[in-house]
Formats: sequence, structure tokens, C-alpha cells
Amino acid sequence: MSAVAVPLRLALVGNPNSGKTALFNQLTGSRQKVANYAGVTVERKEGRLTAPSGRQYAVLDLPGAYSLHPASLDEAIARDVCRGFYPGEPAPDALVCVVDATNLRLHLRFVLELREIGKPMIVALNMADAARRRGIAIDVDALQRELGVPVVETVAVRSGGAQALIAALDHIGTRSAAPQKRLAAHERDDAGESQALHAETRRLLSLAVTMPRRTARIDDALDRWLLHPVFGLLALAVVMFLIFQAVYAWATPMMDGIEAVTGWLGDWVGGALPAGPLNSLLVDGIIAGVGGVIVFLPQILILFAFILALEESGYLPRAAFLLDRMMAAAGLSGRSFIPLLSSFACAIPGIMATRSIQDPRDRLATIMVAPLMTCSARLPVYALLIGAFIPQQQVWGVFNLQGLVLFALYMAGIVSALAVSWVMKKWRRDKSEHPLMLELPSYRLPHPRDLLIGLYERAMIFIKRVGGIILALTVLLWFLLSFPAAPADAVGPAIDYSFAGRIGHAMTAVFAPVGFNWQICIALIPGMAAREVVVSSLATVYALSASNDDAAAQALSPLISDGWSLATALSLLVWFIYAPQCLSTLATIRRETNSWKQVAISAGYLFALAYLASLITYQVAVALGAG
Amino acid sequence: MSASLLLQYALIALAVLVSVMVVAKKQFPNATRRLRVACALPLLREGRPRWLRSMGRWIAPPASLTGAGACGGCDSCDTPSPH
Repeated sequence: MSAVAVPLRLALVGNPNSGKTALFNQLTGSRQKVANYAGVTVERKEGRLTAPSGRQYAVLDLPGAYSLHPASLDEAIARDVCRGFYPGEPAPDALVCVVDATNLRLHLRFVLELREIGKPMIVALNMADAARRRGIAIDVDALQRELGVPVVETVAVRSGGAQALIAALDHIGTRSAAPQKRLAAHERDDAGESQALHAETRRLLSLAVTMPRRTARIDDALDRWLLHPVFGLLALAVVMFLIFQAVYAWATPMMDGIEAVTGWLGDWVGGALPAGPLNSLLVDGIIAGVGGVIVFLPQILILFAFILALEESGYLPRAAFLLDRMMAAAGLSGRSFIPLLSSFACAIPGIMATRSIQDPRDRLATIMVAPLMTCSARLPVYALLIGAFIPQQQVWGVFNLQGLVLFALYMAGIVSALAVSWVMKKWRRDKSEHPLMLELPSYRLPHPRDLLIGLYERAMIFIKRVGGIILALTVLLWFLLSFPAAPADAVGPAIDYSFAGRIGHAMTAVFAPVGFNWQICIALIPGMAAREVVVSSLATVYALSASNDDAAAQALSPLISDGWSLATALSLLVWFIYAPQCLSTLATIRRETNSWKQVAISAGYLFALAYLASLITYQVAVALGAG
Repeated sequence: MSASLLLQYALIALAVLVSVMVVAKKQFPNATRRLRVACALPLLREGRPRWLRSMGRWIAPPASLTGAGACGGCDSCDTPSPH
């Protein structure tokens, strides 16, 4: 009888932003998110590695931690998994402590703490190439000798950059000796430990590391400008501004191409199939609906190309530093920046990233305002309405007006979040201030491979959503808009007699004051599952409402620009700044706060804000003659 | 009703059924799981015919629902499973 080989369990641990996830991706062939700032990983991730020797490893990627004395939830997870106390998680057989070779003064302290656990351990000196470039000389043999554990150099972002680590892993086993060197018994009490760790770190640095006189001349030069209280903020505004200009300026040719392909496909399918319900489902439902959403893929990719490049460059923590005073005045902690930044992709990872916030009240405030950040699912809705109602013209001969409006919508979300957190701070009479402790990583040029992988991931996520939940909801909406058929003596359009038509007309009693017609009301319901579905739903509703085939074949944008007033369009744009309707976000708030009360408060205040802001926008626009 | 129209309605019914299942699984993963367990259990009892028990195993949910736990059914932040 042959026993099945049990894989050795390895845990990747280390300070935040030491490159654990990049190394995890190298080892396991996975593609987890990496970025050049702290706090990207908040949950444990697991992957498999088969070494050239044939040995199997189960590799765990843990959230970053500065110490085994946790200051936040994610640090507690890392500590409990390392010690084998985490519920339902077998203790790791060995630890791989990933340290940033350019920042050993900070990272070695945690290595010494981990060594005290007494498990077999390897230290991976990551970013060894960056350290060499900066003139930091590390005597690996001396460090290995003094630490009493194997030390290897790695470059996690380069292909083959983990070979030395894989080779070292083959020499480590569950029965390997525990680290030879430990702190003396009298140094292991709480009071003595901290001092002893500092002293030991200094001793190791003096023995094994030679620092250049100036570690980062380029970083210093850039930071003088980019962290300047005036020029820094100006640079940040320019960067943001250019991103939104590019979203409109560069995406148009690709969007026109996709629109032409979906239009041709609709014509071809419509002509090939006999008239009937299946023809209507495919042409008016699936192709009109899904095609109406997928056309926005180029804009999403351009936006994320910029965000990924900024993440990789190390600029984003600087932006957090610049905005800290503003965020503190609004009652948000500096640690809120990364969760709020993540929320621009989707509120859900943003809300999960709040686990790194130590203060429970700060954490709750961040969770509450995270849905106000403009997630990527809102971009198709904004793009549709801006394309239909905002003329494509230059402002001051330089700026694209549509890009300016998109920039303003994103800024409105940010300003609203700051305003809401300020009100929450006043409400709870919180006068405490939380200083921002932030590690500023070195600047680096974004790696094209990482950018391409990031863009591929975003494209796949979007296409998966289009082919999954968006397609399913479009089919269901088509069904509800097509059945039951109109009675023989019907006087109005057939769609008015359908299930969805009746629901939409009933909803106008609530939404007429904000300028929403019954078609918009219908689209809001499936939009609760995925906001992009609002676009596909409107496309399906208008295709089915069309009086003839030519009208049905029209793109959605001219249909709504003819059918809606400017006041209605502005009101809907404002509604989506607050957009309370996202079931997945509410489910995540429930899980992270463990409270239905917080879910109710979140959904309630977002709905109230959305309704009030849309009402004011619509009524003012009508009064100004835009109705 | 012609055979062609009947076939069209059958295909539409299938598409709608699959769509309902996709939406339920994505948006209400826990309720869907409980429903599948409740439907599968009576079919898996001792003494049931073999084909019925096979059907019960097919209906029963897998040990864990990937992608449904962490993100509440949203795929916006999804990343592929590690190899």
C-alpha cells in the first residue's frame, strides 16, 4: 500500500508590502493582486507548488503584519495562522519570512519575532535586485549565520526570481531543527522583548548590511515635489484629471468597433431566424442588452491601466499622505485610504480591506462610506448617460467636456464620502485624532508584465460578469417584459401589459418626483444585483418598446437622448453617485460588521441621499428650463 | 401551436430556468445551498432506487461553494483560483 504524499504546508509571512503576494504568484503560478503599497492582502490565500524534486507544497499567503502583537484584525489572522491557533487551519510546517531587502531596518525585527515561534523557517530577501541597484550590500552568509536560519535572495516580480527559495525549500522539512538562535530567557518578557529586538536588529545590520551614503536620491528628488503641500496636491489633481480625459479620448475608436460588431450580429441573427419569441429573446434581449454593456470594456480597461500603473509606481501611498489632513478633518483615519482606494474597483474588497483599521469606530466609518467611491460597475452607466447628453466638445481648447463631467462625478463621490464621515464624526462627538503611520515604498517603473496581467484580470472579471449575472438578468428581464402577452382588445403597447411593465408603472408613483420614467424604474431592480445591468435593462426595454425593427436596431444612446429630458439624465447621474442598490455590498457589510442594524443604516442613508440629491437636481434643472 | 413555436418556447423556458438558477446562486448562495440540501436529502434516504439517489447526489451542493462566500456573490473583485 502506498501512502499518498502529504504536501508540506508553507506560510508566507512578513511585513506589509514586502512582496509576499508577488512571491506567492511566482511559486504557485497564481495571479493574486499585487501592488506597491501596504495592505493589499487581507485574507489568507492558498496555492500549490511542486518543486523540481517532485516534492509538493501547500503555500499560504498571509496578510502583512509588523509584529506578532497584533494591532489589527489582519495582523491577528497572520499571528494565529503562524502559531497554529487559527480555527480550521492546520498549523504550517514551515514559515517563509519575506523581507524587503531595501528596508531591512524595519523588516528584520519581525524576522526575529517569528524566529521565536520555533518553527522551521527560511528568510527570503525579496527585491534583492532593487537593493543592489541602490548600493545596499547584504552579506547573506553572515546574516544566515547570525539568524540561525537559511537566508536566500529572491526577486518576486522577475520570472525565475524564486529559484533559490525553491531550492532551499527542498532542504527544509517538518522535522528540521528549529532555529538555532533565540532570545535569551530574560529577554522574552514583554518589557524586555521590544528592547532586545531593537538591539538585535541593530547588531545584525552592523554585521551584515552596508548601506550607501544616500539610499534613494531619485526618491528624495521626486518626493520633494510630489509630497509638497501645494505642488503635490496640484500634481495629484493633474494626474486624476488626465486619467479621466484619457478614458474618453482613447476609448472611442474601440467602442465604435464593438458597437459595430454587436449591431452587425443583431442584424444577422434577426435576419437568419424566423420572427417569433426566440428571435426577440436573442436580438432584443441578449444582443441588445449584453452588447449595450460590453461596449464599455475599453473605457474600463483604460481606467484600470492608469490605476494599476499608479499602484505599481509607489505613488498611491504618497497620495494618501497628501490627503491625510483632509481625511483627518473629515473624521477618517489615514488607514482608510487603501480601503477607499480599493473601492474604486469594487466596494467589496474595499470593505474587506478595512480589517487593517485598528479603531472599530474608524473601521465602521470607512465601511459606511466605501460604497460612495465610484466602483467600476457604475462606469458603464455614467458613460452611457454622458455619451447621450453631454456634447463632445473642447473646453478652453484643451479639455474634453465629457471627461470633465466624468471627473466631476468621481469627485462628487469622494466629497460625499468625506461629508458623510464628517457628519458621523460629529454625531459620535469624536474629537480624537489618529496620526497616519505609513510606509512610503520606493518609486519603481511599472512592470509591463504585471500591468498586462492586471488588465487581463480586469477584462476577464468584466467578461465573466457579462456572461454570467448580467446575461442571466437580461434573459429574466426580457421574459418579464414579454409575458404575459397583451390582451386582444389592448389599446396601449404590448409591453405595458407585461409583468415588468406593470411593476415599472407602479414604481413611477415613488420615482416621478425625481424625474424617472417607468423604463428607468424597471432598470433599477436588476441593477441591485449588478449596476451595469441598468444599461442592459434599458437596452432591452427600449428594444422591446420600439414600434418597428429599425427603431429596435438603434443604439441605446440616441434613443435615450431623444426620449429623456436633460433634467432626467442629470437626476439619474446623481442617483448613481449614491446608488444604494448593490446586494453584494450589503451582504459584505453584514458579514464584516456582523450586524443587520449597520446594513439597514447603510442602505437607508444611501437611499435617502440618492433620492434627496436626485430630487434637488431634477427640480432645479426643471426650474432652469432643462425639463 | 406549430412544432417550431413549441420548440422556441421550450428553449426560452430552459434559458429562463438556467437564468433563475444563476441569479439565485450568485445573489443568494446560502439560501440556494439550503434549498439544494433540502431537496437532495429525501432522495438520498436508504431504500430509494438507485437512479433517485444518483439524482439526489447531483442536486446536493458541493462541499464548498467557490466564489460565493467571500464576495457575497459579486464577481467584481474575483481572482482566479490558485493552481
